[in-house]
Amino acid sequence: MDYPIIITISRETESLGDEIALRLAEVLGLELIDRESVSSLLLSSGYEDLPESIDKEKFLSWAISVRDVVVKRAHHRPVVFLGRGGQKIFESEPDAFHVLIVTSPEMRLQRTMEKYRQDEVTASHILVELDRKREKFLLETMGANWKDPVMYHLVLNTAFYPVERACETIMEAMKNVVVPVRHAEQPTLFDNLDFGGKKVDFVHPSEEEFARILDFYGIRWLYEPRQFPLEWDNEGNVIEAFSPDFYLLDFDLFIELTTQKQKLVWRKNRKVRRLRELYPQVKIKVIYSRDYTHLLRKFGVEDNQ
Amino acid sequence: MIESKLGERVFSTPDIQQRVQEVAHHISADYSGKRPLLISILRGAAYFTMDLTRHLTIPFDLDFMSLSSFKTGFKKIEIDKDVSEEMANRDVLIVEDIIDTGLTLNFLFRVMEKRFPASIAACTFLDCPERRFIEVPVKYSCFKIPDIFVVGYGLDFRGDYRNLMEVSTLFDPSGRSTQILKQMGKGGTK
Repeated sequence: MDYPIIITISRETESLGDEIALRLAEVLGLELIDRESVSSLLLSSGYEDLPESIDKEKFLSWAISVRDVVVKRAHHRPVVFLGRGGQKIFESEPDAFHVLIVTSPEMRLQRTMEKYRQDEVTASHILVELDRKREKFLLETMGANWKDPVMYHLVLNTAFYPVERACETIMEAMKNVVVPVRHAEQPTLFDNLDFGGKKVDFVHPSEEEFARILDFYGIRWLYEPRQFPLEWDNEGNVIEAFSPDFYLLDFDLFIELTTQKQKLVWRKNRKVRRLRELYPQVKIKVIYSRDYTHLLRKFGVEDNQ
Repeated sequence: MIESKLGERVFSTPDIQQRVQEVAHHISADYSGKRPLLISILRGAAYFTMDLTRHLTIPFDLDFMSLSSFKTGFKKIEIDKDVSEEMANRDVLIVEDIIDTGLTLNFLFRVMEKRFPASIAACTFLDCPERRFIEVPVKYSCFKIPDIFVVGYGLDFRGDYRNLMEVSTLFDPSGRSTQILKQMGKGGTK
């Protein structure tokens, strides 16, 4: 069985892409080329590595060097090429197979929490920052929509295919390729929009509507991701807590929606005040009934002026 | 018929013209020696854009963009009409009629940043910071307004009132808008 000589693995942060690349290389006896080894390969071949400050021109020159070095090497021993825009660098290589590994936002968050031993909010920050760095590298260098599935032979969701199954699936898929695929080269405008898109049991219909508005604008959110203890009894047990409705990852902002009449929101206001006293670093915005009505009116959802 | 729904005047035509001219002068000074690309967001900003650009004293390019609306049932925002001008290495100035929640402007910034402009800034006719929940940088604004619903000078209610030369509230039976305007020292019967 002839496998492609270059298998590129692109992956979302904490999607198990690294593990899959490693395991695939082990199973097939291929060389794994990652960020570190591509640098040493280039340097040992007399090329310069990618500078810290990148632009399209520098990336192009670097990408040509990588392509030359890796293709030559892969003809002697096939490689698994992890990250680094491999899907773009080897885009026109007929003997390359491109895989994108993704998974659900919840699983990525969970893995980030476990890996960094952090709570949900801190882990969300970490994930956002890692995504931003990856996005920046790929956008500034490739100028293409790296999440466009058309760029890949195969897109695998590790929520359904754990590492071993994913490797088996990739191998099976490589056997069955019938035509080389030309990849789309044009970036879209919506590269980084990561919509909530989650199935969430909202407590109130207004929250669901609000989530739809956030999704419409591509604002990434989590629903009630964190509970803040507000009061404790003498034994240290939490007797009052507050879970703001939404957390907007890209803005480090909690949103509390309330559709109660203004005179009935004193209890919620008290909780918000207490939260601000106890957790001054936490940013929270309360959207009151009147604000929410304005918001709905603006978006034409309810127009009762 | 539609006039009966109007409430109090918030900004008169002379107020608007004077302020638009001042903002145009600021922009001209800030972009002196440059040729900014003004991107007017349709449809609301059309009237403001026309008046603003008439007072600019620097060379500029003008283009237009329009976005899909949530109420039309789209699941995600899309660009209905994109700009024709190349944005790379340009000093882009987004021209809006009103900035309130910050959602639209945040989207525009995200889209435009991917097109490698030299700079991006926003200019709005009205700024309503009380309704903001996504922080966005607003470099130029003609007027700040409180949390009231206004129409005119490009701002509409169900497609009406865009062509009014002044800015007014809609009739508010609760009296809340009137009360807020009084606190601002504004308000006058249409």
